[in-house]
Amino acid sequence: MSLGDTLRLLRAKRGGITPVDIEEATALPKGLYRQMEQRYRAVGDDESIRVLAEYYRVPFEDLRWRLDWPRKALSHALVASLRDHQPITLYLWNGQAITGTVKWWDLGAIELETADGGRVVVQRHAAERWEPRVTGDASTVDAADEDD
Amino acid sequence: MSENLWALREQKKLSVATLAGRAGLPIGLILEYESGQRSVDVRHISRLARALYIEESEIKLRSDPRPGAGALEKQPRRDDAPRPAEPSAPPSARPPRDKSPRPAPAPRPPLPARPSQITHLQDLLLRLGRPQAEVEAEVGKPLAELDRLAASQLLVKLQTEMKEGKFAERHRAYLPEAVDQFEFKYLTAAQQAGDVLHFTLFDNSAVAGQVIGFGQYNIAVRTADGSEITLNKLAIVSYTKPAAGKEQAV
Repeated sequence: MSLGDTLRLLRAKRGGITPVDIEEATALPKGLYRQMEQRYRAVGDDESIRVLAEYYRVPFEDLRWRLDWPRKALSHALVASLRDHQPITLYLWNGQAITGTVKWWDLGAIELETADGGRVVVQRHAAERWEPRVTGDASTVDAADEDD
Repeated sequence: MSENLWALREQKKLSVATLAGRAGLPIGLILEYESGQRSVDVRHISRLARALYIEESEIKLRSDPRPGAGALEKQPRRDDAPRPAEPSAPPSARPPRDKSPRPAPAPRPPLPARPSQITHLQDLLLRLGRPQAEVEAEVGKPLAELDRLAASQLLVKLQTEMKEGKFAERHRAYLPEAVDQFEFKYLTAAQQAGDVLHFTLFDNSAVAGQVIGFGQYNIAVRTADGSEITLNKLAIVSYTKPAAGKEQAV
């Protein structure tokens, strides 16, 4: 789960608070929290994450490592997997690891075909890490940036 | 039934100038159309119709002259009107002005390039894979010292390079991350077919049931015992559609 999805989940657990409420409570710069939560690329730094970890009372490291696995990076990996017909392994937040070839993917989910021919639809937010990681060539990065 | 342009305009209580402005046509042309001197150009008829909020067919291609109005005549221009004879110079006339040309103002120093121009230039160089030093050698000075005009010209040059170079043929990856069409189709098909989906939730618990509805953030299912559950997608890790024959186990 990306940092943005994690923040969204933490906020949902609090119930009823808005990004603006959090910015006011933590003195984060205006708009930063919303961007950290909603943008697909990595937004935020150690200091802002530390502030939010204190606010949500979660360990700093639980949030910090997620900054290196943004949704945009997953998009790159999925594009490469679909293009090259190479399997991808998704490490999910319930501890499962699923390997398969990408049949389709979109805003919210990914369908993988596993080696035994089974199909599974994985929610994007459930993917914490993946293998292989793809840095993305220039065209992919540019196109991905347009969508964000 | 078509109507004269001038009549349509007057029905809409528009002046010629207003109609011309709305249609983006010269006033003189509108006058010619209205007087019947000229048929409405087919390229202009849709503009006029839009400007008058009417159908194109309602406009008569060649208007009848308005009753009582003569043909358009060239109105004498003020400059053409006979001027009264120049009176002789009054006794208390001012001395004639010095008509010698004013000295040209000193040329202003060129404005320095805007910071946004420099940033844009650096971004373009990065995307083109060209070292900044190489371009600076070409222009003969550091980018930061360019004036506004030179920076603008360099930007145009680099943008042209971008368009004509390898970027012109760049294949953009299809990134459907702004849409949820695939999952939407999948769930729609599952709902219509009455498929039973097996959900794995964040705590590794499992739920199975027929999809009875779904939205952007949740999926509602009817379980085997007839109860209905709405699953928040945030709580879902994955779901599968078992092969036919295995669903009876649910």
